[in-house]
Amino acid sequence: MAFFDIKGLVNPLSTLKQFGNKPHTVEYPKKHKETAARYRGLHFNDLEACIGCGNCSTICMNEAIDMITLADIEGKGGDSGLRPRVDNGRCCWCALCVEVCPTGSLNLTKEYNYVTKDADAFLWTPGVDNPEGKDNLSFTSDTNTSLSLFSRVPMPEMDGKERVKSFAETMLYYTEEAAREEASRCISCSLCTEVCPDHMHIPEYINAIAQGEDEDAIRIIYDNNPLGEMCGKVCTRRCEDVCALEVRGEAVAIRWLKEYAVGRASTAEMLQEIVSPDIQAPNGKKVGIIGAGPAGLTAGYYLALKGFDVTIYEGHEYAGGMVMYGIPKYRLPMDSLNKQIDYMKNIGVKIEFNTYVGKDISFEKIYEENDAMFVGVGFQKPYDIGIDGEKAIGVIPAVSLLFDVNNGSTPDVGNKVVVIGGGNVAIDGARVSRRLGADVTIMYRRRVADMPADWEEIEGAEHESVEIMPQTIPVEIISDANNRVKAIKYLKAEMVSDGKGGRPRPVPIEGSETIMECSTVIGAIGQEADYDFIPDEFRNKMEFKWGKMLVNDDLQTAIPKIFAGGDAVNNTADAISAIADGFNAVKSIEKFLMK
Amino acid sequence: MTTENNNLEREEAVVVALKATFPDLTARVKRIRRVEASVSKALTPSVLVHAKNVLGYKALSHISCVDWIEDEHFELVYILWNPDEKIQLLIKTLISRENATMENIDTIWRQANTYQREMREMFGIEFPGFVGAKEFLLEDWDDMPPMRRDFDTKEFVKEAFFLRPGREDAKDVRDTIAKRSKEEIPEFAKKYSREK
Amino acid sequence: MMKREKATTLYLGPQHPGITGNMMVKLKVEGDTIVNSTTHVGYLHRGFEKLMERRNWLQSFTIVCRICVPEPDPNEENYARAVEEIEGREVPERAQWIRTLVLELARIGTYLLWFAGQSGSAGLYTMGQWSIGDRDYVLDLFEELTGGRVYHMYIWPGGVRRDLPEGFEAKVLQTMDYLEKRLIQYDKLMFDNTIFQKRAMGVGWIDPEKAIEWGVVGAPLRAAGIASDVRKDDPYEVYDQLDFEMGHATTSDVWGRAQVRRFELEQSINLVRQIIEKMPKGEYYNRIPNPMKWVVPAGDAYVKTESARGEFGYYVVSDGTNKPRRVHIKGPAYVHAMTLLEDMLKGANVSDVSFIMNSLGTCPPEIER
Repeated sequence: MAFFDIKGLVNPLSTLKQFGNKPHTVEYPKKHKETAARYRGLHFNDLEACIGCGNCSTICMNEAIDMITLADIEGKGGDSGLRPRVDNGRCCWCALCVEVCPTGSLNLTKEYNYVTKDADAFLWTPGVDNPEGKDNLSFTSDTNTSLSLFSRVPMPEMDGKERVKSFAETMLYYTEEAAREEASRCISCSLCTEVCPDHMHIPEYINAIAQGEDEDAIRIIYDNNPLGEMCGKVCTRRCEDVCALEVRGEAVAIRWLKEYAVGRASTAEMLQEIVSPDIQAPNGKKVGIIGAGPAGLTAGYYLALKGFDVTIYEGHEYAGGMVMYGIPKYRLPMDSLNKQIDYMKNIGVKIEFNTYVGKDISFEKIYEENDAMFVGVGFQKPYDIGIDGEKAIGVIPAVSLLFDVNNGSTPDVGNKVVVIGGGNVAIDGARVSRRLGADVTIMYRRRVADMPADWEEIEGAEHESVEIMPQTIPVEIISDANNRVKAIKYLKAEMVSDGKGGRPRPVPIEGSETIMECSTVIGAIGQEADYDFIPDEFRNKMEFKWGKMLVNDDLQTAIPKIFAGGDAVNNTADAISAIADGFNAVKSIEKFLMK
Repeated sequence: MTTENNNLEREEAVVVALKATFPDLTARVKRIRRVEASVSKALTPSVLVHAKNVLGYKALSHISCVDWIEDEHFELVYILWNPDEKIQLLIKTLISRENATMENIDTIWRQANTYQREMREMFGIEFPGFVGAKEFLLEDWDDMPPMRRDFDTKEFVKEAFFLRPGREDAKDVRDTIAKRSKEEIPEFAKKYSREK
Repeated sequence: MMKREKATTLYLGPQHPGITGNMMVKLKVEGDTIVNSTTHVGYLHRGFEKLMERRNWLQSFTIVCRICVPEPDPNEENYARAVEEIEGREVPERAQWIRTLVLELARIGTYLLWFAGQSGSAGLYTMGQWSIGDRDYVLDLFEELTGGRVYHMYIWPGGVRRDLPEGFEAKVLQTMDYLEKRLIQYDKLMFDNTIFQKRAMGVGWIDPEKAIEWGVVGAPLRAAGIASDVRKDDPYEVYDQLDFEMGHATTSDVWGRAQVRRFELEQSINLVRQIIEKMPKGEYYNRIPNPMKWVVPAGDAYVKTESARGEFGYYVVSDGTNKPRRVHIKGPAYVHAMTLLEDMLKGANVSDVSFIMNSLGTCPPEIER
């Protein structure tokens, strides 16, 4: 084109038009630009909702987040007590920490200004440095957008109507694929280990399962629990209550993963080969254990590994205690329990069955012959129901029914059973009665939500057509001319708050008596210990409170050689607590004998 | 990608053509527009020249190097593009990590000079006879070539820089909880604990 | 007596408004003519590729966007697509459309930034004032969609991070209308401006016969008359369902490249409108497993995108663990700013250095990562 292209030279002058236009820049700092709804600004953490799991710190790719102790936050079960602090010099505001926060407490705000003359003030504690931040939340993550996997892999189980026909195990348990998928949900925060009475190394064995190392998982479980498969089937799983994923979703199936792992070893021999424990040479000390329940068995196992000469005296025909005789077989099959106990016998734990201390062998003899003793007898005697007419035929304690059924007999409970109580034993009694062919009703004083039984058991009972009547107080058992149970009279109750913010109490409603016909009444309102096997000279030296044996921090009774644990000692009264007592007693016995 | 044309005829033709000229070469079609070939170190320059001049792979898209330290070799990947057939050809070869050398190819493609400078600096691979300034991305570097996998960046950072004070009170969640409950984690289990 | 040197050594950069980033071009100048030039890089080496070896697959995605400041999205998209190819992960339909939208918006933003660089290096500073301001409207759109203005960290393996917010489509169309009107003013100021044309014609010529062999990509290649665009040659996301044309020029100089880019800016605005119209409903993310435990099976992949400045290539290798083995990134400037520039500057005028560099679309961070 020619040099003198007039149009091309004049065109640029059109810019002069801009002089009249309003500038589109924002006059900062007089005016502030409003940030977008999803803006990624400075962090805010809701200190109460935060459980200190440390997932934010782990995912941060700049290693900008530290977990620190704050002055007014105490760690407790379900909360590590630590809170995140962000190094603003490193943070790139990618918000991955927000995406993986399981509780949703960590979010980003609209604030982007952080100006200070102090070059060392780059550490930012969200929530503490900006308490007003909760009104300014901008980039958040809800259960749909979060990277945490909130849904549990479903557990297959037998259909409710099918399973009442037999005592076959109701849970079908995880396949290998399902277990690996479920295990990979775990964020390894380890909040669960604190509330487990035995402090099992949960994130470690779950990660081993996720990586396909089932044998390592078994070894980690056996580090402090020789009845892992049993726990995997019936533990009360306090761990899952505090799982980080439980806050907004479903906890990792810690219990069922344990069952999966130990279940990979199908025989006692395989268990021994995989665990291949380090058994120390005999140290010449003998320990006598009374009661082959979970507490006694655990103590026996770890003492045997440490080279002690261990004998367990068990009054019944089989080992296991409450676990063997009190838990129905559809929850815990015989061969599973036997496998675990056989392995213990194979490494040197001696069990004398049908040897009732106080009858078949004397307490003094055990005391004389052993350098230390461990008493794990549990609560065997059921409480009386405490109402008129309970001495009739057909009124049985739940533990007796369960004992008889587990021993192999099929008692005749008639066609209508009423169970009184709300704990796991009551549900066990109810579901066993269903399998014996009866229609079952459970009567419980308070609401269903107050029932101490496992939600899983309650659900299982409901699927098996057990009727649950809450707020029902039985008052009299009516029997016929032959002193056989024929009906039960009960009152309905209303829940009245106690005015102090505590649990509401059931108060019987005047005039609401109703009579229900039944053929058997099962009482399941608790058990107590039977200390008749301890001779007076020992019993007088030991201390008891509310029916439990008192022990010091080392699980030692007032008589130094005698240690105790399990249901007869602790307050939580479940299998895992008994196992924990057995494990801890071993440490104390070792300290006592080998110093 | 919405419609995947499953007709891989043109890609198969490339494999056939390569193997016809170089019987010792292994090649396969990875997917549409991607063909992969493995060849020995000695043959690589000939394959590259042939691909460029005869088969139409005129464009050099990329030269990459992967350090397979467990297998004790480097994998060099020459990525070529045929602008007419629209196929990407990846030519892979292995060279040893000890005294790593490779033939210089910047006479075939001028820009290979830059890639080779970077590989010399970052991996320590020599290209005898090629001319290029020693320093490319790093200045006054006297440590081992940093992209090698045995170069530990964490150690390097600890030695070369100091951490700004103020973060010493950082705690580990697992240790805090284990200490509080007096849980003793066995050594063999610790490798399954959360990565720090 | 000292021998008088005819040539002077000039250091252009690393702090120089004409250098598009931090790098240095060492020039040997005789009078006004450049006799020799060497490009020195290394001011921006952050060691990203080595960093990614110690970070898992999800954490690494936050690093890649920092490889190119004007246009981070092709990087995120390349990384995501490479990982998806190795793993075999399906990306939902809607996610692909959203990704394409983000890529085109990023392209528009980059072209506006390029206006500033290209015209500014010729002395036409007003263009830059306007286009950087207008680019802010595009950044506003990004802020609303992703939460960040420059580094979005939005496209990740499996899809995108969040769905489009309410009313987003309308805002995008509004911004596109605004930009289209502005283009008329830009044309009057820069593209139909005789002084700029005269300045740009004949400068920075690349031999079209040798262009492909020398590794020229992007707009410079199209300005040499060669029809090459990754979106057409090796289609990805939903480009094969969209209607657009490549820029084309035959002069292979700065003016040709400017024409190509100007044409493609309009095409991008059109593409954005098409995408908004055709976007289907559906899922926007195919979830990855637990990020700390996410393992990608062993394998490798090479993927490319056409960014505003040229072809970006990612070679990603996985060894079957939860961390990448090798992520090797190549941006257009790796060739354009090194061997190509050193050759082009021989015989060029000193005042043209920055002009030529801008026309090639050089951006140092991608050379050194």
